[in-house]
Formats: sequence, structure tokens, C-alpha cells
Amino acid sequence: MSEQKKTFVVTRFDPDQDAAPRQQSYEVPVQPDWKVLDALNYIKDEIDPTLSHRWSCRMAVCGSCGMMVNGKPSLTCKDACADYGDRVEVAPLANFPIVRDLVVELEAFLEKLRSVKPYILVAKERAVEEGTYRQSPEQLEEFKQFSLCINCMLCYAACPVVANEPEFLGPAAIALGHRYNMDSRDEGQHERNEIFRGEGTVFSCSYANECSEVCPKHVDPAAAINQAKFNAVIDWLSGFVTSRGGK
Amino acid sequence: MDTIRHDLVIVGGGGAGLRAAIAIAEQDPNASIALVSKVYPMRSHTVSAEGGAAAVARSDDTLEMHAFDTVKGSDFLGDQDVIQYFVGEAPKELTLLEHWGCPWSRNDDGTVATRAFGGMSTKRTWYAADKVGFHMLHTLFQQSLRYPNIVRYDEQFVTKLIVDGGAVHGVAALDVREGVVRMILGRAVILTTGGGGKIFPFTTNGNIKTADGMALAYREGVALKDMEFVQYHPTGLPGTGILITEAARGEGGHLKNSEGERFLTTRDYGVGTKAELGPRDMISRAIIQEVEAGRGIKGPYGEYVNLDLTHLGADVILKRLPMVRELSMLYGGADPIVQPIPVRPVVHYMMGGVDVDIDGATSLPGLYAAGEVACVSLNGANRLGSNSLTECLVFGARTGLAALRHAKGVGAANEAACARQAEEEAARIDGLRGKRGSERISQLRREMHATMEEGCGVYREQASMDATVHATAALRGRYDDLGLQDKSKVFNTELVAALELGNMIAVAETIAVSAAHRNESRGAHARRDVKKRDDQNFLYHTLAFAGYSGPRLAKKPVTLGIWQPEERKY
Amino acid sequence: MARPVNPHAMTPSRPGRTRTAPPQAPNGWYAQPRMLRYLLFDATGIVYLLVGFVALRVVWALGSGPAAWAELMRQLRNPLYVAFHLLALVCVVFVAVRFFRLFPKAQPGHIGPAKPPPGPVILAGLYAAWIGVTLVVTAILAGWVLR
Repeated sequence: MSEQKKTFVVTRFDPDQDAAPRQQSYEVPVQPDWKVLDALNYIKDEIDPTLSHRWSCRMAVCGSCGMMVNGKPSLTCKDACADYGDRVEVAPLANFPIVRDLVVELEAFLEKLRSVKPYILVAKERAVEEGTYRQSPEQLEEFKQFSLCINCMLCYAACPVVANEPEFLGPAAIALGHRYNMDSRDEGQHERNEIFRGEGTVFSCSYANECSEVCPKHVDPAAAINQAKFNAVIDWLSGFVTSRGGK
Repeated sequence: MDTIRHDLVIVGGGGAGLRAAIAIAEQDPNASIALVSKVYPMRSHTVSAEGGAAAVARSDDTLEMHAFDTVKGSDFLGDQDVIQYFVGEAPKELTLLEHWGCPWSRNDDGTVATRAFGGMSTKRTWYAADKVGFHMLHTLFQQSLRYPNIVRYDEQFVTKLIVDGGAVHGVAALDVREGVVRMILGRAVILTTGGGGKIFPFTTNGNIKTADGMALAYREGVALKDMEFVQYHPTGLPGTGILITEAARGEGGHLKNSEGERFLTTRDYGVGTKAELGPRDMISRAIIQEVEAGRGIKGPYGEYVNLDLTHLGADVILKRLPMVRELSMLYGGADPIVQPIPVRPVVHYMMGGVDVDIDGATSLPGLYAAGEVACVSLNGANRLGSNSLTECLVFGARTGLAALRHAKGVGAANEAACARQAEEEAARIDGLRGKRGSERISQLRREMHATMEEGCGVYREQASMDATVHATAALRGRYDDLGLQDKSKVFNTELVAALELGNMIAVAETIAVSAAHRNESRGAHARRDVKKRDDQNFLYHTLAFAGYSGPRLAKKPVTLGIWQPEERKY
Repeated sequence: MARPVNPHAMTPSRPGRTRTAPPQAPNGWYAQPRMLRYLLFDATGIVYLLVGFVALRVVWALGSGPAAWAELMRQLRNPLYVAFHLLALVCVVFVAVRFFRLFPKAQPGHIGPAKPPPGPVILAGLYAAWIGVTLVVTAILAGWVLR
């Protein structure tokens, strides 16, 4: 197999040593079928063991390896080195605080995720003996796409609102909240719609659509957010028409 | 010593760990649970499972059929009391998961759909397109977020169990981000850290599957059971080892050799009419035999055979196997709608693990284990596909509750004694960081891979197994001379890789030694020199204890039940 | 290399126990063609605001008698005003096309028992309504009807 030498310019940052992130170049003999992650692993194994990055499944399903490659959010186990030229810049995910090298702080996402109550909410728990809910394939289709989110956070790196408004819930969290709202088994739409109208409001989204452009799993969070806006408004209006009883 | 106190500590946040945490939280909202994982839970390797989870669902299926399929699939080494319990609980667990939002694929009438799977006599594998592990893990993780008493400790690498007065009282964990070691105390510790596929060079497993939990228990004197049984999944992509799920065969895919021959039907490989839906060990052996007979297809990563889905049609592939298509296009260079997928056997699962009873309890009071890290033993010498996800749920729940009962009955730990152990561990790790030495992590890892592939492959023989026994013992010695370069404290992944390598070498040795002493062929342990199964002399579980100069072996009887061992033919 | 964004972007409520470098966006991120089109889309709001002011002037003139009206009509014939309104027309078309393209997938799967029509139908409906209303308003303003 013919290999090709490429230069990888990688962001480095050790908070105990560096005042600010810096860049370091590595010459990597790239094999034709390598993904960017393979090159990073080569650097770590053979050239510079001090490079820190997150990865696990290497098959685009665990969501660990999101980084900026040549200025664009990329799932590095999915993007081929062959798609890039001789110089490849690898940086940590945009819009996140940087912990070390290519590793970013993820806690804020988990807080946002938790806040949308991403679980089935029902007034009365269904007993196991009653068996599974009936859900038609059409009902499944309504939310299935949004359940495919692997939490890679490329959408957060792409979103201009995330970059400017720290309280914004963000594409993935809203998509996952909306996934439960559209699940026929769930009864928690009102609660979640209140959250969607709250501090992290979905209405901060101005439909840049960048999130959907970068999503490696075709979740289309932009669609989810804008559907959620619709639902949030209907939910607000129906509050004047119906009485919602005691909760 | 920075100390954190909880009632229970769960090590590992995958399917089994999350299920255990939820079971405990549901049972007792006041129990405080530490969920300690070296990665964020949604990165756990459960996420990559594709095919499905088995449970009796259709009217033409019975618990007895599921149990017998599992017993036979295990080549009669599975404990039948465990299996009977398992099949009874399986439908309840998958139903519970559905209540929690898992998007199981559906029939037109709204009931949960099932598909055929290897070694199963009827369709009982519940599926979610071909991303069952992803959906299960995310459902469990998102469900776990509703319990305030499940406290997550993410990116904390547990390096040692804290044992005082003959019982486990907690763990010492390296905070990967901060670089400090903390002591997390709990009245019971549950290991749910998964298997160790990364001990082998070609594996479906992700980077994090490094047998950490097995090593933790092993070092404290707990036996590892049936380590010689390593499952080779027949259809992994050459090179990367990425999994092409059995469901591809379940939906009707055919395996073909270089002559385009569907060799499982034209030649006798013991799978009978089941053909591609035979058990995994038999199919892996068939593929290896085809390659050795010169009917394999040559590629840049060795020889392989073809998995042909082209006759299924775009409709079926796009609806039921979308991820298979994505993976084979992205990593295998083939679009299954029009081309066959290159596949070869790769290491996928470890039937063996920490020796536990049906409650998940080990021989060390306070220490429990569930999921792939444990050997209950549900899977015996060979696991049937789609049983292990259900296993995580069934035994995750049961073990969680058993650990909770234990925790309620146990007194507080002697914190000073525990802190001393944790401080020793902290000093050891500080010494490891950036230490001088002549060996490199990548080099030792390569050699471990080479010897394990050679001696503990699909087919084994005495000479190469013995060589691997010596090689792994030598690696253990050379590990002490490891040299590291990264001296930083913050997010030092070289240090984590070194710790993982140590765990892998220890467990690799138990695999090699256990294999070298089983003079029969059973399930996934297939020997060229002893081809037959020997129920007279070898119907037992192998136990491997840590000894001074390597693993020391013992035997544990198999719990038989209503089925006596018979010839395993399909 | 990179430029800073809001320093609190994606910052957790309890900061981590090690020092982090502030969040960044890559250089040239906002200069990418797709991003520029989005920024333009948002920026056209200024144009509509100004159009709104002109409309207020028209209404005011309407209530101030024929002399004021004639004066306003004379001013509006100024080439600069015409150019501005042409720009506004371009902006409206640009925004409408983009909005219409994105609108169908923003429809939730169902609202209560009601399901939205398929995407192409919604798209066709939007264009039909837009062109239809435009034609009606043009007809009224040009005096072809209601005079």
C-alpha cells in the first residue's frame, strides 16, 4: 500500500506548562485508507506519547473523537485523511473550554441534557406485566431520527448561537428533548415545552442550519429545534384554552 | 487522602453498570450510588452492539426453547440454573427497557419485532434497526439521569480495589483530568467494566475494552473463570476489525469463498440447515478452514471471505441494516447493495471473566460483578448472539439488588486502613507517570497482540499455546521496565494507556494458561491436536487464580440441569 | 489559528478542577460561504426595519393631506430611494427562498391528531401564496382593481 507523508499541525495545551494553546507539527506517513484518528493514534504511539485525545469505538458511534479538522467540526474516526491535502490542522472542538491538547470540557453539555428531562415521563408507570406499549412503525418514524444522536457535539462546535449565548440549550440537547416529546409513549410534553421556553430558550435559534450540516449521523437537529419551537408555541397557546388540572 | 463516601460503588458505566445503578435507585431512593467510569457513560462499548437482544416474545417460542438453545450454544458448559433464570427474566427486562423509551423496531400491528439470530431456534431477537446497543445504552443513560442518588464520576480510572478485613470497602481511582488519586468508599463494589478484546490485534472492541475489571478482581485473589473461551465473531471487517452484525446473516446474508461458493451449505461444517445462522464458533472455524484450504480472498490485511447481501435488495438493507451499509462503505470499501462485504473472524467477546455466582457475588465479600466482565456462567464455552445485551440487563439488575442487600448489612469501613492503601496506590501511580525505562507501550502491546493471535486464535495447538504462556509471562516482567514520556498531571492519556496495558498483560496470561490446560475442543476453544469434546475429563469451569509465578489453575463443577451433554450438531 | 468566542460558552455551572483555555472558534469560521449566507439572512432585518420606517412615513403622509402626499411621492422617486427598494426586494426574495427551503422540515410530525402535508406540498403552497398575494397587492396598487 502506498503511503503519503502529511503534516499534522495539532493544538497542544498543558495547563500546568502553557499559558495558552500552541501548535505542534508532526510528519505522519499516512496510509490510503486511514482516517484522521488513525494518524493521531500513530502520532501518539510512534512519535509523541504526550498527545492526549479521546477516542474509543473508531466506528462513528461512541461520539468521543469530535475535533476541528482544518477549521471544520469533524468526527475524526469517520473523516478520511485522503480528503485533506498535505497539511492537516487538528484542533479541539470549537466553543468548548479546552482541558488538554484535543480534550474539551463536556460537563456543560451534560447539564443541558439533564435539564431537558430526556426520559419517558408518564403520569402512571406502566407495569411490566402489561407488556410493551403499542407503537406503529409510523409513530416510531416521527422521533427515530432524533434518537440517533451520539452526543459527539459537533453541532455545538458549529452553532453560532452556542458560541455567543452560554445559556442556550444547544442543538443536541433540544433534539433529544424533542425526541421524547414526539415519542408516542411520552406524556411529558408540557414539562419539556416549558423548559424549551425557559432560560435556555429554543427561540435563540435563528436557523443557521450549521448543526445539521455537520451532524455525522444525520440527526438534523435544526429540524428538531424548529419543530420544537412550533410545539412550544402551540403548548403555550393551548394553556389559555385548556385547563391543565393539577399536576 | 481525598475521600468520597457512598453506599455502593459501580465501576463501569455501560449496559450492566447503568442497569445495576437504576435497579438500586428504584429499589431504594435513599441509597447513594457512585457510578465510576473511565469514560463518559455514553462512550461505553455497549454502544457499538448492533444486532439485537434476545427474549422470548412470539407465541411459537417458549422459555424452554430459549434455555435449550443457550445450553447447547454454550457447548454444555453453561450453568443451567443461571440459564433458566436468565430466559425467564429476559422478556421482563426488554419490556422494561421499552417502557423507558428504547425505540425497538416494530411490526405493523405495533408489537415489537423480532429477527432470527445465530443458534436460535426461532425469531426471538428484539432489535432497533441495527443499532441496538446504541439505543439501549442511550436509553439506560438518559433514564439514569432521573435519579438524583446516582452520582456519576466520569473519567475516573479505578486502579485498585480497597480490601480491608477480608472484604471490599471501596476503590482507589485516578482522576484522569486532575491526575490525583481519590478513594471512593462503598459498602459494596460492583464491577461492570466489560471484556478485554484489545488484548488481541483484530477485534470488534473499542480502545477502552482493556479487561480492567477482570484485572482488579484478579489482583485481589478472586478467580477468573473460563478465560480460555474467547469468542471470534465470524464477520468483522479486515484490518479495523469493525463489527458487521450477525443480523446481516439473520436477514438472509450469505457467506461465500473466493470461488463464489456458499461454503456453509456445500461443505460440512457442522451447522446443518442453519447455514449462516449457525453458532459463531462454528462459522468462524469454517471461515478459517476455507482460508487455509486456499479458498480465501487475498487482501491488504490478510485473507477474507465475502458476506453477500446483494440479493436482499436495497429496501431491506436500508430499512433493517442501515448501519451495516454505512460501516461497510466507510470502512470496508463496499456498498452491500451492489457488492459483497469483506469479512473475517475477529475477537468480539469474552465468555470468561470474574468468577461469580448467580447473584453476581465473588468469593471476596463486598465485591460483585455483572455483564461481560463476569462469568456467571451464562454463555459457557460459546455465546449465542443477542444473549449478552440481555445478560447485561438481567444480571445487572439482579447483581445490583444483591449488592444493595449486602451493603445494608455491612458496617462502616476502617477508613484509616483504607486510606493507607489508597495512599500507597497514589504513590505507585505518581511513580509510574513519566518514569524511565527501556520498554515502550506500543512495542509491548504489539508483542502481546502477536503472541495472543498466534497461540489463542480460532484454532489452537499445544506448542503455540505454551509459547504464548511463556511470552505473556515475559511481558509481565518487561512491563516493569516500561518507560513513559508524559510527565504532566492533567489528562495524561499515556499513563492511562500504561495502566490499561498492565491489566491486559495480566489477563492475557490467564487466557493463555487456561487455554494451554484444556485438552479438548469445546465451544470457542478449538484445538487442532485434540479435536473432540471430552465430557469425561473436562466438563468443568477453569478457574485461574493469581499466583507468584503466574496463574494457578483450579476446577469448578458445571451446574447441569434438565439437559445432559450431547453431541452439538445443528 | 483561532479566535475567542463568548468566554462562558459551554462552561459548566461548577467549573472543573483544572485550568482550562477559553473556548475558541476557528479563524475564518464566520467567513465561510454558508455562514456568510446565514449572517446575511439575519442581517437583512435592518433593511426591513428601514422599509418599516418608510411605510410609517407613507401612512403619516396619508393622514396629512394631499400636499404632503404629493411631496412624499416626489421624494420617493429619488433614484436612491428606488435603489433602496430594489435592494429590499432582493433581500425579501433571498430570505423567502431560504425560509421556504427550511420551512417544511420545521413541521413537527403531528400536532394533536393533525399531520402536516408532505414537504413538496408545503413548499408549493408557500410559493403559491407568496406569488398570489404579491399579484393581488400589485393589482390593487397599480389600480387594476378597486378603482
